[in-house]
Amino acid sequence: MVNNPIAYLFSCIFVLGAHIAMLANVMLSDGSGGSFVLLAAGVIGLDLVCFTVMPFFRQQSYTIDFMLILVLNMSVIMQSCFGGVGFAVKHWITCIVALGACRVGYLLCRDHKWLEMQKKYYYIGIGVLMLITVLFTGSRSMWINLGENTSIQPSEFIKPLFVLACATSVTEQQKRHRILGFNVVYDNLALFGLTAAICLMQWWCRDLGSLPTFVGIYAAGFLLRICYPKTKFSKKSLVGAGLALALAAVLAVFFAPEYVRERIFSDIWSDTSGNGYQQSKALIAIAEGGWFGKGPTNGFLHEVFAHENDIVFATICEEWGLLFALMTVLALIMMVAVPLISPPRSYFHATMSACVCAAFTVQMALNIFGSCNMIPFTGVTIPFISSGGSSMLVSGLMIGMLSACQSPVFRDPEPFRFNAEAPKRRRRA
Amino acid sequence: MDIVLCAVSAAALDICLLVLIIAAYREKHSEKKSWNKLIHHMELAGPDTVYELGCDEILIGRHASADIRLPDLSVSRYHAMLTVNASGIWTITDIGSKSGLFVNGNLVKKAVLRENDIIGLGNRRLVFRRRGGNGQ
Repeated sequence: MVNNPIAYLFSCIFVLGAHIAMLANVMLSDGSGGSFVLLAAGVIGLDLVCFTVMPFFRQQSYTIDFMLILVLNMSVIMQSCFGGVGFAVKHWITCIVALGACRVGYLLCRDHKWLEMQKKYYYIGIGVLMLITVLFTGSRSMWINLGENTSIQPSEFIKPLFVLACATSVTEQQKRHRILGFNVVYDNLALFGLTAAICLMQWWCRDLGSLPTFVGIYAAGFLLRICYPKTKFSKKSLVGAGLALALAAVLAVFFAPEYVRERIFSDIWSDTSGNGYQQSKALIAIAEGGWFGKGPTNGFLHEVFAHENDIVFATICEEWGLLFALMTVLALIMMVAVPLISPPRSYFHATMSACVCAAFTVQMALNIFGSCNMIPFTGVTIPFISSGGSSMLVSGLMIGMLSACQSPVFRDPEPFRFNAEAPKRRRRA
Repeated sequence: MDIVLCAVSAAALDICLLVLIIAAYREKHSEKKSWNKLIHHMELAGPDTVYELGCDEILIGRHASADIRLPDLSVSRYHAMLTVNASGIWTITDIGSKSGLFVNGNLVKKAVLRENDIIGLGNRRLVFRRRGGNGQ
């Protein structure tokens, strides 16, 4: 769109149109009070600011950015209408933070050669975050409380670093070494070790819901490594790895902690006030909402705990209808599927895109299928739709990485040189 | 009334997504243009096929996973790798082929390619040329 201002203008108009249609729906359902005016001003104002600022970044492609603005402001409108119109200021601010994080991710991840040179920092960063999680979150939690109503989840910040760790070294698959009769690539071993350590940490902190996200990122990176030219990974080894993973999953189910097994094997309808409380209420709400919903602000699910994050899909279904909820999910899927339309020009960026897509897809699937009782309830958020500061910030950063894959820079790496002259000059001065 | 409002919202979202997808397809063409400019509009041409150089690393070989597949037993499964740098200069590297890599008839391990260079891989000959050229 950088060379096509008409396409840019049309995209702005249609994104704005989609938000205005939603706001009109809210206005006609619940009247036009002061909260509604604030909400409309917040949404339209954020739209206009983004449309004005975006061209300054001179990107090759703006599609992902438009989809991000579309989804974020949709989530602001939806979150503001759960149980009555009230401008969700906190969520609106986290959306702005996500947009800022997206810009940061975009600027940092454009040059794949520079990113590959920073490999050791990803491992160090993940190590530090794991240490913080283990030391400061308590033995059975993933949150650090910073004060009243404010807490952060350090394990969320591992995700973008883990994506980068998976994307680096893909091009070093030819450098094989012989250990105990096996041909191995040191980087693959390091990455496997890192994945195992993250999984152990998640297990220890009782956050098994995020485990599939990390496994999904690793699986996407692993597949891209297999596909890299000249890896010659045998099909037997691949089948073996698949079988080992399936066996590990079965063993994990049977040796899982008591509370996990209760969730897996319990019938929600026979325990509607205990373990099945949220899921049974969510299913009733989806059924009551039907295809077109009860209308914004007219639901009952807002009285259930975690209606705005863990079971947000059901809350949207109830108020806006299944059709609109599915369209929202489609918008998210399309946002992460943009690299399929315009594939990245470098293998690093292709791997990074695949890992980000895997993370987002797994998170969406866990939340939606969990709300619909198709899998056990995990408490994982839908990116950009659920409320939550850490999740929103990290999702913004990761979508920025995806955006960078669409507008890469190809720059020859400059060798790092320690500037020994500077201190001398300072001493002389 | 609720049904109409919801349908209108969903329709607006639907149309918006459609417009964004159309814009993405249009961007694809402009992105391709800037890529071609970066690589100086080069391509590889065989006797009856022209191969686009679409990314910064291109594997040539007999294997199905190769970017440029040459179904000929004289070509190794993973024969050579083409890479481009930021200045748009293409380099070809032999990645352990059995029959060797030839550029303008000379056996090479690694070579910087120039316009109209003839690359020999087994019995196959490819011409590195500017897009739309006649080849040899």
